[in-house]
Amino acid sequence: MSGEDVITVRGLFKDRVSNFLRKRIRVLDNLDLTVRRGETYGLLGPNGAGKTTTIKILLGLLRPDRGEINLLGAKPGDHTILKKIGFLPENPYFYSHLTANEFLDFASQLFGLDRAKSKEHNLELLKRVGLAEEWADRPMHQYSKGMLQRLGIAQSLVNDPEILFLDEPMSGLDPIGRKDVREILSTLKEEGKTIFFNSHLLPDVNEVCDRIGIMHHGRLVAEESIANISRGESYKALEDFFLAKVEEKKEGGDKDD
Amino acid sequence: MTELQATLAIALNTFRESVRDRVLYAFFIFACLITMLGIVLGSLSIGQEIRIIEDLGLSVIAIIGGIITVFTGTTLVYKELDKRTIYVIFSKPVTSWQFILGKYLGLAACIILVTAAMGLFLVALIWMVDPLHQIQLHLPWLGGALGLVLLELLFVLAIATFFSTFSTPIMSVIFTLSIWFIGHLGSSLLELSNMSQNQMAKMILSGIYWILPDLAGLTRIRLELTYMQPPSQEILSYLVSYIVAYVVLLLGAAAVVNERREFP
Repeated sequence: MSGEDVITVRGLFKDRVSNFLRKRIRVLDNLDLTVRRGETYGLLGPNGAGKTTTIKILLGLLRPDRGEINLLGAKPGDHTILKKIGFLPENPYFYSHLTANEFLDFASQLFGLDRAKSKEHNLELLKRVGLAEEWADRPMHQYSKGMLQRLGIAQSLVNDPEILFLDEPMSGLDPIGRKDVREILSTLKEEGKTIFFNSHLLPDVNEVCDRIGIMHHGRLVAEESIANISRGESYKALEDFFLAKVEEKKEGGDKDD
Repeated sequence: MTELQATLAIALNTFRESVRDRVLYAFFIFACLITMLGIVLGSLSIGQEIRIIEDLGLSVIAIIGGIITVFTGTTLVYKELDKRTIYVIFSKPVTSWQFILGKYLGLAACIILVTAAMGLFLVALIWMVDPLHQIQLHLPWLGGALGLVLLELLFVLAIATFFSTFSTPIMSVIFTLSIWFIGHLGSSLLELSNMSQNQMAKMILSGIYWILPDLAGLTRIRLELTYMQPPSQEILSYLVSYIVAYVVLLLGAAAVVNERREFP
């Protein structure tokens, strides 16, 4: 790991305005975090902690109210930076009318990649995520959730990204699907990709991540390396750490209030 | 080149989505069946069979084409948001105008295809009813009339695209249909304005007349074409350039609106 910071977030704030009564709800509250090149960083937190919002702001899909972000030396949404980024959204639906081949071609064209070259690359990607050849030309409405998730990972890799953002990549997958995704992530890690992912599934995080951040009510309440938490043992230590930090924050939060 | 590539990729995706939708075929079959009613209506007239089939056919193409345009156009952006496929697009180096233009071009291609298919069906029907009818002499005029129908549909599509960037599909349908309808009132608006005693009403009515393209004028020229009468080039080029400018303006506004939005 080279240690160069590729994602830096400082003092990030984001409010959401509720549809009813137009009440402002704080989603991100002075968030700070740093991710280094080649690192697999897991962002954990209970539902509504602000994990998905953080990813969306980093990608330029949402605008922060305040704060500074540095992504590969530029601001989120910068097109030269987006060319170096891959993204798998949470519960991907994609285009049910397209086949896997057509969808990957579509994703490649959005990056402006050479069609002939990307065609070969896309076939390799399909193999890599374990989508059998006979499925490549079938429309996506025939796919299972696990297959869509694999295809989602494949589309996030069409541009051979430097940083990969994965929002709940294991959600809804059966144990075999989760194992497959873990293996794909491990290979990507070996290739030196920086992986930033949100997850609830602590066993997977324990196995794949180098470092984790725990979010609660829009703040980063803890950041630690997996090696220091579980020391290569079961995910139980991570679970205890996670629960302790969230509980600690809850108690601290009560005092703050 | 890269910018065009992304626009064309979005256009191709939108085109595929539209032509793979079975509802489109249901509309097409429905349009063909109504056009065939022209044979029955034509047989009730004396020596005007072809005229009636032609008029009915063109009206059906305009109306069914319009319905397809309104209902697909108004969900153009909404569907991407609803199915969360918008994240796939805007997490990549795609600008708002590439997205809007791509969506518009994709659906426009589908509408051109459907209009051409309905037009071909109409020509085939005329030929079947009266093989002696000199259809080849009539084809350029019919083609011109179809072109004007298409121009109107592309205008309606631009309105639908604009509203779909910030409004729900139901509201977009209401807004688009209202503008389409008002556009067809044409010079009646000006007459109403002249008749009105209220100064405010006068201003509003004449304002709408001058702001919206005169779709009634377009329909008039279309009718003239079916009678093989060459339209006034001056009026035709004025209407065409007005509508094209309108389409460009609406798409530009849609891109600006889309640029400002967030994708929660």
